[in-house]
Order: sequence, then C-alpha cells, then structure tokens
Amino acid sequence: MIEVQTSPDSLSVPHTFEPKIVGFLCNWCSYAGADKAGAAQLSYPPHVRIVRLMCSGRVDPHFVLQAYRDGADGVLILACHAGDCHYQEGNFRAAQRHRMLLRLLAQFGIEEARCRFDSVSAGEGEKFVRVVSETVAAVRALGPLKRPAIDQAIPHSPPPE
Amino acid sequence: MRTGIYLCSCGDSLPELIDFHRLQGELSRLEDVAYVKPVAYLCAEEGKQFLENDLGQQRPDRVVIAACSPREYERAFMQVLERAGLNPYFLQMVNIREQVAWVTPDISQATSKACAQIRAAAARVSLHQALIKTELEVCRDVVVIGAGPAGLRCALALAEAGRKVVLVERSPVLGGLPVRYEEIFPNLECGPCILEPMLGDLLHGPHSANIEVLTLAEVTGLKGYYGNFHVSVQQAPRYVDGELCIGCVDCIPPCPVQVPNEYNFGLDARRAIALPFLGALPNVPFLDARACLRSSGAECSLCRDACPVDGAIRYDEPARFIERTAGAVVVATGSALMDCRGLPELGYGTVPGVYTSLEFERILASNGPTGGELKRPGGPSPRSIAIIHCAGSLDERRQPYCSGICCDYAFKFNQLVEKKLPGTTILHLYKELVFPGKEEFSIYQRARRNPHASFIRYAPGRLAVSASGGAAAVQYEDPAGNRGREVVDMVVLCPAITRTEDGGGLARILGAPTDRFGFFQELHGRMDPVQSRVKGIYLAGSCQRPMDIQNAVVQGMSAAGYVLSGLADGRKLEIEPITAQVDDNRCSGCRVCGAVCPYQAIGFQPERGQASINALLCHGCGTCAAGCPAGAIQGSHFTSEQILAEIEAVLA
Repeated sequence: MIEVQTSPDSLSVPHTFEPKIVGFLCNWCSYAGADKAGAAQLSYPPHVRIVRLMCSGRVDPHFVLQAYRDGADGVLILACHAGDCHYQEGNFRAAQRHRMLLRLLAQFGIEEARCRFDSVSAGEGEKFVRVVSETVAAVRALGPLKRPAIDQAIPHSPPPE
Repeated sequence: MRTGIYLCSCGDSLPELIDFHRLQGELSRLEDVAYVKPVAYLCAEEGKQFLENDLGQQRPDRVVIAACSPREYERAFMQVLERAGLNPYFLQMVNIREQVAWVTPDISQATSKACAQIRAAAARVSLHQALIKTELEVCRDVVVIGAGPAGLRCALALAEAGRKVVLVERSPVLGGLPVRYEEIFPNLECGPCILEPMLGDLLHGPHSANIEVLTLAEVTGLKGYYGNFHVSVQQAPRYVDGELCIGCVDCIPPCPVQVPNEYNFGLDARRAIALPFLGALPNVPFLDARACLRSSGAECSLCRDACPVDGAIRYDEPARFIERTAGAVVVATGSALMDCRGLPELGYGTVPGVYTSLEFERILASNGPTGGELKRPGGPSPRSIAIIHCAGSLDERRQPYCSGICCDYAFKFNQLVEKKLPGTTILHLYKELVFPGKEEFSIYQRARRNPHASFIRYAPGRLAVSASGGAAAVQYEDPAGNRGREVVDMVVLCPAITRTEDGGGLARILGAPTDRFGFFQELHGRMDPVQSRVKGIYLAGSCQRPMDIQNAVVQGMSAAGYVLSGLADGRKLEIEPITAQVDDNRCSGCRVCGAVCPYQAIGFQPERGQASINALLCHGCGTCAAGCPAGAIQGSHFTSEQILAEIEAVLA
C-alpha cells in the first residue's frame, strides 16, 4: 500500500479542493468489486471516475499520462489479485507497467500517491471503498496537480491509429 | 452522428438519488446527442420492447444506456440493438446505479458523477466501430494421445457421438498402467477386468470403425490451431500385421533372444518377438527390431517359420509417417513414478529386495514375472515387508506435493499381502496419511485390523534403507525423535507421481505449457482443469496432476464434452469480435506482443518480419495492445482512440 504523502503545499491548499481521479478497472474483478460495494450500498467519495477495461493489462501507460494531461489529479489502477487474473497474467503486466510508470512520473515531479495500483477481487466491496477513500484523501492532501509542468512534460499527442 | 441516451430510473428509485432533470438538461446540450430519454424499467420485458421500438423509430447511430452494471445487462441490451437493426457494438452502458446512485449520498455529487460518466460514454460510443462475429469451418475429428483409462474413455465417447478419432499410443499395448494391475483399489477388482470392456468396445464395438488405433506411435509435430490442427504421427513398425495375426502366439517360443522385459520393469525376460504380458490387447505380438538377431545381420526367421498365417510377420515393414487433421487434441499421456535412484537413502537399485510400487504391482499380478506368487523374482517369499509411503513426496527438495493415491494403493497392498501370504509382517512407514473419497478410508480401516500390520510415522528425511545380510534394514525416526530399526525381507517404495519420462518433449511439440512440477498446465486449476493453456488442446488424466482411475475417466469424458460442445455438429466456430489486430504499417517485428500474450495467439511471420494475431485464439484482454511500443496493435472495441476519448470526456 502506498502511504499517504503530505507535501508542504497541502497546508496552503484550500479545503474545498475536490480532486479528479480516473480509475481504470478490470471487468472481471475490480469492476465487479465496485459493483459489490454498490450492491451493499456502501458510500464513498465520488471523485473517482471509472473507465472499464476488460483487463488491467490493457492499461497503456499512455492512458495514465493522458489522464494527467486531461486534468486528472490522480489515477487508480485496480486489478485482480495475483493468480486470479481472468486472462492469466494481465494483472502481472499491469503491475510491471505501474512500477515503470512510477519511475517515469517521479521524473515529471508527479508524486507516487497520485498513481496507485491495487488489487480488488469481485467480492471485495469493502476493500474497493477503502482503496478509493484512501486514494481520494491522499490526492486531496497533495493538492491539485501542477498543470503547466505536466503540459510541458507530456505533449498532447494524437492517439496512435 | 446521432447518439440516443436512455436513462433507466430503475422504477422510481434512481431519480431520488440522482437529479434526472439536471442530467437530461446537461446531456442534451452535448454535441452529437440527439435525445435523452428516461425509462422506468429498461431491463423488464416491456422496457426492452420499448427500447426496440424506440430505436426503430429514432434510428440513432449510437446508443448509451445509463442503468445498472453492464456485467448484468449489457448482453441483453446488445441483443435488443441487434433486433432493432443496429450493430450490437454501437452500445455503451454506464453503471449509474451500483457505481453512482447507491454509493454517493449527496444527490448533487451523484448527479455530477453520473453526468461525467455518461458524457464519457457518449464520447466513446461515437467512435465505436461496427463489429461482426465471424465464423470458421472446422474439422470435427479428434486426436487422442494416450490409451490409458482417460484416453480410452475419451476416444470411446467421441466415437459414440460419431466423431472420427485417432488414438495414438506409444507402447504396443492398450490400457495404460492399470491394465497391468492385478487388483485395483478400493474394491479389489482386477485391472484388466475393468478395462477390457472398454478395450473390447474400442477394438470391436459398434463404433470402433470411428477409431483409428495407432500403437507404437508418437506425435511428432503439431501445426495449426483450434478447429484446424495438423498432427504428425510417427509409427514404428510392429512387424506383425494386426489384420492377419490370429493371436496364437506360436511365434514367440521359438525366438532364441532373451532381453529384459520393460513391461515388467526388467524383473523378467522376454523374447525379441513378444506380447508385453499375457492378455495384452491388441492380442498381436510385436517384434523388437533392436533385439532381433536380424538387426545384426543374422538370417533368423524362426518366428515367421512358426507362424501359421502367411504374410502375418513382415520383416520389411517400414515405419509410417502419418498426417491427420483434427479440430482438437486430447492429451492423456498419464504420468510416471519418480526415479527412485534419485532417493539413494531408500536403497533402490543398491539394496536387494527394494521395489517400486509399480514393480510390486507386477509381482502381485498373475501374468507378471513371478506368475502372481508373492516373492522376489528368482528369490524366496518374504516374511516381512516394509511399505514406505511418501517416497520423494512432501519433500521440498524433491516433490513438495502429495500424490494423493499412494496411501490408497499402499493399504490395498496390505490387503493383498495378507491374502497371498497370511501372517506376513507389514510395516507402513508414512509422513502423512490421506484417503479422501467415499470408499478409500475403508481400505485403511481394513489394514488397521490386520494384526500383523504396524503403522509408523517418520519424520521427513529421517528414514534410510540399507543392506543387512540378504535382507534390508529400515532405520527411522518419528517426529517425536524416537528411533527404530526393523530388518525386512522386502521393501516397497511408494514414490511421488511425476510427469512422464519424456521430459516434457510432448509438451514442447504441442506448445502446451507445463507447470512447475512438469505436469501439463490447466487453464484454471479449479474451473478449467481439463483445458490446457492452448485452445483446443485438452488434458485428461494424470498428465494434468496425480490422480486415480476414477478421476482420469471423468476427465476423459469431460474432455470429450468440451470437444462436442465446442466443435458441435452442424455449427461453424464463432469468433468473438473483441480481439486484437496488428497494423502492418507500424509493426517493427519486436515480438513484445508475443511475449506478453497469455494465449499464444500472436505468431511471427518471418517472411514479413511482423506479428500476426490469430483471432480464434485471442481472448481480447488487450495486454498486447498496451505492451506494443509502436502502437501497432489495437484491441477492437477497446481501441486507444476510444479509451482516450473516454478519459478526456470523463475529466471534462
């Protein structure tokens, strides 16, 4: 689990900062976990906007960078647990790519807590709520992503055809 | 572009949690949105009928349905689109119930979130492409490799269903290992007796015309894919024509050659022309060319001279190279015992009177090396026997797993020993005892009632067998540290069950992955143990994991079921359209995609230097699309363009 980081800036951030977070969820486990949280009517912060993919292995690092470019303050990648991937090992690839992303993001000055990877099974509604709540709190504490730096670092390129 | 948005209110419940008026107002202003309609119960039959009619009247280009989870109703609504004459993939669902309304107490926040998610769906759906399921002609024949209980059951079931089956068996005899067992647990039925009805059906039954039996044959190559495999088989000559041979075995006694009989694990000798054992099926002797005097240039023809049928023995029979087309391949090659020479502390091969369980099965068998007399071949009958369970099993340095069947047969041995030589002392030495199943525990209970049997738990690594005069000394230490030593006349090892002796050769030929123990790897250990990791290659029996005969025949039947449902009569193979595609203009041939694909769906075309994806094998996970450094792979229905549009709109 990524610890909640607080930057000196966070003290000066107005309390009303409502972060925008993109959540990439795999169809078979984490999306179903989110459904489970819904079925149990557990409430959690509304800041995570969900993008459903068939597998966390589909999360192209390009999508994550583009999310920051498009205004996200944080990104959440939720996969199946190790060994549970519907597609054998897509979650393993996603975890590898996330590690690579963290190194890249550090060079852009984007804090680790803004890009969280975790595993949520189809039965783990409560874990889904916890992970979302922690991520929202962590990103809120960090404050808005410094947009101009990101715009320079990640040029807005057309998607590959 | 005209997109129609339907907001399902789930009865009256969702408008209490999401402001539908605000939602309608904001969404109507979006570019390309033709209309936004609230509906009470879209999932109800009336709701679906309304949707179908409304789509017919409105004729939108794309459809967004904001309702409950797409995991529940997406397929149902796709069918409605299809009925309304729209491509079913022109739909995008948004889950405003489980993922918005039910989890966001503040109605204003819930409305904003729902609005963002629907906006994203609208942006994405406008980029959706029409996708069509394609169909492929397939071959419905099947190649079954291995003629043990699993392969036999599978081949027979398929033949009964009218399928052509090629049954490839490496040895000259059908029936696998159990056909060599005199008695089988738990009910002590004789092995040949329970297998022969199946073998009879296979060779001469009403559906035997559908089965081509190839003994002394091995699969040497596999090309193609599910529905259309090309299988190469090499068959060694038997030198005895199965069609002409009458099974009188007059050819065998005149043969002057004696070689160790591998079918009795070298415990006795056989001739160069031989049956593996009495009663072996097919009842046709085979000629071992390497042992035959003719291989060293001698002009011996004693067997042919003794044969009453002209032309039944043919010294010039060539090897056959056979090609068959098959829609599916079933691997039923079984397993082997761990090589006990790798357990030097247990004395196998060095201490006289130490046998493996398979050797002991043959010693007990009436068609075995001792004619069923319980004794060392060429030696005396034992007055005491040590049966060592868990040999090489439950051992981190050897095989860490439990083979699961050894306790069952070890206590069967107890019963058979008591029957053949009443009063023989039997020592069971074990690390753990297991006997799941409804009959199995009774074998153990029966052994416990044997007054001449004792049961000792030994600590892992604390057991050794050494020579003691003409007998064997077994030294052990139990988990509490108590030591003991017993001198016995015979030691039977129950070794770990491992993959077959081919060292994974067949797995490499088939391209089917094996697990860390060398067994064929199943698609899913619990839900799909009979499918291999390669589509169209199925696993039956102990090539997948150690198992008993009951489980092996169940898997054989299960594999037949997969074939019959997957390659059903009168139906082409449907290819789901959510697959990956390679853009030849961008692919540089780096092969990263092939390395990350879990389904071996991506091949490399050396002549073009590029990757190509087999849509039939692709499961549409998109890992390759994310991994391609050149952006040359797109996952249909999950293209980068579509996903990036969704990201942009969800954040707008």
